[in-house]
Amino acid sequence: MAETPSVTLYHWEPNANSGKPMLTLFEKGVAFDSHYLDLLNFDQHKPDYLAINPLGTIPAMTHGDLVLTESTAIMEYVDEAFPGPRLMPDSPVDTWRVRWWMKFMDQWLAPSFSMIGWSVFVGPSVRSRDPAELDAAIERIPLPERRIAWRKAISGAFSAEEMTESQRRVAVGIGLLEQALGQREWLASDSYSLADINGFNLAYALPLSQPHLSNDELTPNIMRWLRAIYARPATKSCWALGRTDMARRVTILEGEPA
Amino acid sequence: MTITLYHGEPNGPSLTVLAALFEKGADATLERIDLAAGERHGARVPHAMEVDHSIEGEGPVLVVDGIPMADSVFLACYLDDVGPGPALCPSEPYDRWRMMTWCRYIVERVAPAAAYLGVAANPPARVPQGVASVDLAERWSDAVAGKIDDARRADSHDKIVQAVERIERELSDGRDWLIDAFSIADLESYAWLAGMTELVPEAFADRPRTAAWLARVMARPAVARALAMATSAAPEHIWAPGPEINRWG
Repeated sequence: MAETPSVTLYHWEPNANSGKPMLTLFEKGVAFDSHYLDLLNFDQHKPDYLAINPLGTIPAMTHGDLVLTESTAIMEYVDEAFPGPRLMPDSPVDTWRVRWWMKFMDQWLAPSFSMIGWSVFVGPSVRSRDPAELDAAIERIPLPERRIAWRKAISGAFSAEEMTESQRRVAVGIGLLEQALGQREWLASDSYSLADINGFNLAYALPLSQPHLSNDELTPNIMRWLRAIYARPATKSCWALGRTDMARRVTILEGEPA
Repeated sequence: MTITLYHGEPNGPSLTVLAALFEKGADATLERIDLAAGERHGARVPHAMEVDHSIEGEGPVLVVDGIPMADSVFLACYLDDVGPGPALCPSEPYDRWRMMTWCRYIVERVAPAAAYLGVAANPPARVPQGVASVDLAERWSDAVAGKIDDARRADSHDKIVQAVERIERELSDGRDWLIDAFSIADLESYAWLAGMTELVPEAFADRPRTAAWLARVMARPAVARALAMATSAAPEHIWAPGPEINRWG
């Protein structure tokens, strides 16, 4: 029998873009080599990783000789290329809805969460380092838009207007998630799908990071949904790969409804 | 299954979805709406959260058994799933990944740039009533007021130049289409770039492979049929506010 091509995932914490393909691989039961990159140590811009993904973005996955980037597209690839439970619905309309939600989260909601996250977490985490060293690290970033984002995060240069707009979007997004989860058990269909995996990676820490907007009273459906995903064995295995306090925020979901 | 497509002039996202419908030979009722007048927000078009908050901006709406759906690439994927015609997506997972990442690039980087330049050159007359998305409403106000930011215009111009460079590079191995066989990637890329040949001509200068590819897409019967539905002399001049330019730069 021919040897099955091996899978390696280059990722940071089980969180946001890194967590999306990680949790998908666990749900599918695909064995993979986990290659942890410390985003805050700029591992993703070092030569070893740039040899895999010249753009220096996380995550990336290799499957045999193939190299794949872009977390949401990797999720669809994993679902299609490997056996295991299907993570896309059978109905074409539901499939459309899964993709709609993933795009809405990837391109509208997640950037707002991440602007807030970078200003309160990533920026302060790296700001204390030697400025010359930081500057050199930023200069090594291949994509110009990522260089700008890092500079803004480190200098705390997101404008008040940008932060207000991000907060507005987070509030709107929470409202739309609650509305959708009030209509069906899972985000985009009656079966657990990639939209739920994507959404969990964005929203798992909501009751901690936005307690005034998301809690058992205001958003009971979001809370039910987050707890149901946290209870899945794949989620537990995936979050066990976390190394920082950021990933440990997921334990907020161990609490019972108030 | 009952399908109705509410579409604008055959340019941008409406062109993608009309051409995909004709490629697939799916059975649908066509309803013309004036996207540039904001008719999508009025009473004639069925509403749903996914339409009101579509981040594509002003695009077509496909209604399937009463469910209103938006976002041109995913509507084309839906039509590919249900229509009888030849496949518009590759069958191999890796090639499907190539198509989806390509479309993501067009949707996230090229479409906002094309819509920005298109609306700047052909501003809409007035802001429609009832735009549910606050950020889309702001793009409408800016477009009508002719509020064009020089840095954004320059960046949009660069994005079009880069997109054509990328297509030229992609086709350098002599392929006819962006992902081996003809696919939604060709339709979506063509739909946003066709109107740019006039607005950013320098991007297309001395790009023979891109020119030949544009001609091949335009010559497809389904695309020709979509373009023939135009009610204006130059549908590539008809623009409405599109996706926003990435807030992270």
